[in-house]
Amino acid sequence: MAADPEDITSAGEDSPTDDDNASQTTEDDPQVPQPQPPTNEYLDRPPPPPTSTTSRDSPRYELTYTMSGHTQSISAVKFSPDGTLLASCSGDKLVKIWSPHTGKLIRNLTGHSKGLSDIAWSFDSVFLASASDDATIRIWTVDTGLTTKILKGHTSYVFCVNYNSVSDKLVSGCCDGDIKIWDVTKGKCLKTLRAHLDYVTAVHFNRDASLIVSCACDGLIRIWNSATGQCLKTLAESHNAICQHVQFSPNSKYILSTTHDHAIRLWDYQTSRCLKTYTGHQNSKYCVVACFSVTGGKWIVSGSEDGKVYMWDLQSREIVQVLKAHTDVVVAVAVSSARIPHSYDPFLTDIVQMSQTHPQQNMIASASMDSDLTVRVWIDKSST
Amino acid sequence: MIHTDPLTMQYPTAVQTSLSANAIFARFDPSGRFIATAQHQGSALIWDMDSKNAIRWLEGHVKPLTSMDWSRNSKYLLTTSKDWNAIVWDIETAAEVDPCQRKRTVRFDAPVVSGSFHPKNCKILLILLSTGEAFIVDLRKGHAGRFELYDQHEGDDQRPAAFTVVHFDPIGRYVFVGTSNGSILVFHSRTKTLLARHKVTGAGIMRGFAFTKGGRRLTTNSSDRVLRLFYLPTYPSPPASSTTPSQPSTPNPQIVNQIQPESQVLEQEFEPVHRFHDPITKTAWHTMSYSPDGDWLAGGAADPANHKIYIWDIQHNGQFTTTLDGGREPLVHVDWHPSKPMIASTTSQGTVLVWHYPTPERWGAFAGGFEEVDENVVYEECEDEFDIEDENELERRKKIEEEQFVDIDTLDDLLISSSTGGTNGEVDEDTAWALDEPDDDLPGWTLKVVIEVTPEY
Repeated sequence: MAADPEDITSAGEDSPTDDDNASQTTEDDPQVPQPQPPTNEYLDRPPPPPTSTTSRDSPRYELTYTMSGHTQSISAVKFSPDGTLLASCSGDKLVKIWSPHTGKLIRNLTGHSKGLSDIAWSFDSVFLASASDDATIRIWTVDTGLTTKILKGHTSYVFCVNYNSVSDKLVSGCCDGDIKIWDVTKGKCLKTLRAHLDYVTAVHFNRDASLIVSCACDGLIRIWNSATGQCLKTLAESHNAICQHVQFSPNSKYILSTTHDHAIRLWDYQTSRCLKTYTGHQNSKYCVVACFSVTGGKWIVSGSEDGKVYMWDLQSREIVQVLKAHTDVVVAVAVSSARIPHSYDPFLTDIVQMSQTHPQQNMIASASMDSDLTVRVWIDKSST
Repeated sequence: MIHTDPLTMQYPTAVQTSLSANAIFARFDPSGRFIATAQHQGSALIWDMDSKNAIRWLEGHVKPLTSMDWSRNSKYLLTTSKDWNAIVWDIETAAEVDPCQRKRTVRFDAPVVSGSFHPKNCKILLILLSTGEAFIVDLRKGHAGRFELYDQHEGDDQRPAAFTVVHFDPIGRYVFVGTSNGSILVFHSRTKTLLARHKVTGAGIMRGFAFTKGGRRLTTNSSDRVLRLFYLPTYPSPPASSTTPSQPSTPNPQIVNQIQPESQVLEQEFEPVHRFHDPITKTAWHTMSYSPDGDWLAGGAADPANHKIYIWDIQHNGQFTTTLDGGREPLVHVDWHPSKPMIASTTSQGTVLVWHYPTPERWGAFAGGFEEVDENVVYEECEDEFDIEDENELERRKKIEEEQFVDIDTLDDLLISSSTGGTNGEVDEDTAWALDEPDDDLPGWTLKVVIEVTPEY
């Protein structure tokens, strides 16, 4: 059985380097013999993680900085889109802005009267929005550390927040099940969606901000028309697993969900079909975040309740690296997407090619809860 | 079904909202995110269609605006005014300074009636003056100049008819000119030569043109209160580039005669495919606008007491479909949204009504795997619906299914946005001319968000 996954590996890992079209035809070709798992043992979950992959394309992330300072559980970490800053937020009411290149604290953003659950950067890395248990969202000008706007209107804990790609709107989810869409320029609520019956744990705009995906502790993933506020579709996770984080893929064709049955799934929301399942990590209790890493190899990166960070190959679903990161649950991870500047975006034929011609440092940040309280920055040494 | 099905594309039916813009007309930008409104006193406003807030002020003209045209990626706006000026505004850099910065001001010696960008290059403008003269104003260094378009033939024996409408076709290869004696002249944009002359019987003075996106259909508005729809012929290939007039002045008549013998000008009577008019009230039309797919045509009636938009179904023989009634304030302008069943109609009082197609709430969407049906249907069990299958077998199949390649980061709209080239990939001479010294109106630029500062923090 060792030989079979090897086959998948070589097929899958050609794709980031070779011509994408070529690899796609290979993948779609029905003549390619599919690996046949010979025994039942293979089907047991979690599958034996083939961590010993020795491919040239595997990431080799190494711990570079450990930053401590938060006094309560960290709830989110996010790299600024230009890759120069890292923000973390915590139950201690603070947003901390770090330099991921030096590991130093740059400043604290203080003002919230209760703990924080989520943060989001504007596309130009100028503003940061923070969602707090004090029922407000604050928009900060990161350079000055001052609050630019306070968005009031939620009646309870604000649990999640995200910008649209042009950053003139925010979407936020509240623990009373409401989703609000905000106009950033005026600081006014444009729409309130009575979306769910329980904690809204994640909300995310698609690329052109025409759709919003949300998930909640009621176990449902819903897709909304952001202009009319109408519900377009509901995806119910199988196995009655509670979904606690959801987001669109970079091209907005798929959604990635993490659920409390120790699984991360990639969905085609048009057909409601689950395309990929990533397993091997621990996740049954906390809202653990997963994200896409598309600069360099294409990985799915997720925190885990065993204190580690897991990375899977997007196509083959094999674990490509495990970071022994923290001593407590890793609830938050972020990938420095070091996005290609927005103005060049549509001319890009292939993001992978772009990152090959302009090599860059790929970074991961991870953060943990109560007994650990550190933010750690990892740098991929395979690309340097 | 998440995206709007193009087959079910509708026309708007109800007013969604109104903007108190004090506007004389309003134009959607090509992305549909914004709408520009022209004010009486000469300024223009840009509104965000989601929040319905005015987000940019363009202060530059001192007399009423006469036209506005967006560049293809909405970075620039061209405004023309009765103050003899045409201004090109840069919306992107405008954010730093409020009110907006102008990129270029072009001054003429008469009030400007209309101005539009070349569809492929914002450095080429098409300008019509109230004197009935039309110019292609080329702002590029290598081509700089004002080129007057005129009809050589008619100049010989009589005073030429004044130009009353000018319009680029959607790819910018031709300039269509409407005249005061009911003719349509077709000029070649690159060489500025006359290619065709179409007489439209009974039209009177040409008042307006509207093209479908593909450029095959042209609708005209004229003083006889009839909208006419024409299918355009293909025009003869333009003269070779060696004879391109390169002087930044009006072309020398001798050169024109050499490259353009009178026999080469296509003389053709134009017979409309459809005529749209109101047989009872015989109302005149202010403007007309096509739906994005070209299947519907909206006409704004110049009714002094009512606000009425007529909708015709082009797909079905141009039959009259409905009238949208917007109340008592008379209509002065209509504009159809670039991608949605949405119309902006301006009233004589300056209000912009935004019409939309209200979609009924689909409650079935709230339940996973739930389908709504219009009528009861007898449920038919599928052959294998309650079969007990081996779970291992199912998981094995799922595993194989998951081997499928998934592309998470290639963007579809790349294909669409790269349409600056020729229609089928090849770059012809006209496109090459238009793309020489290209503008910087690139897709994907982002409007800087200006957060209103509230003093309390």
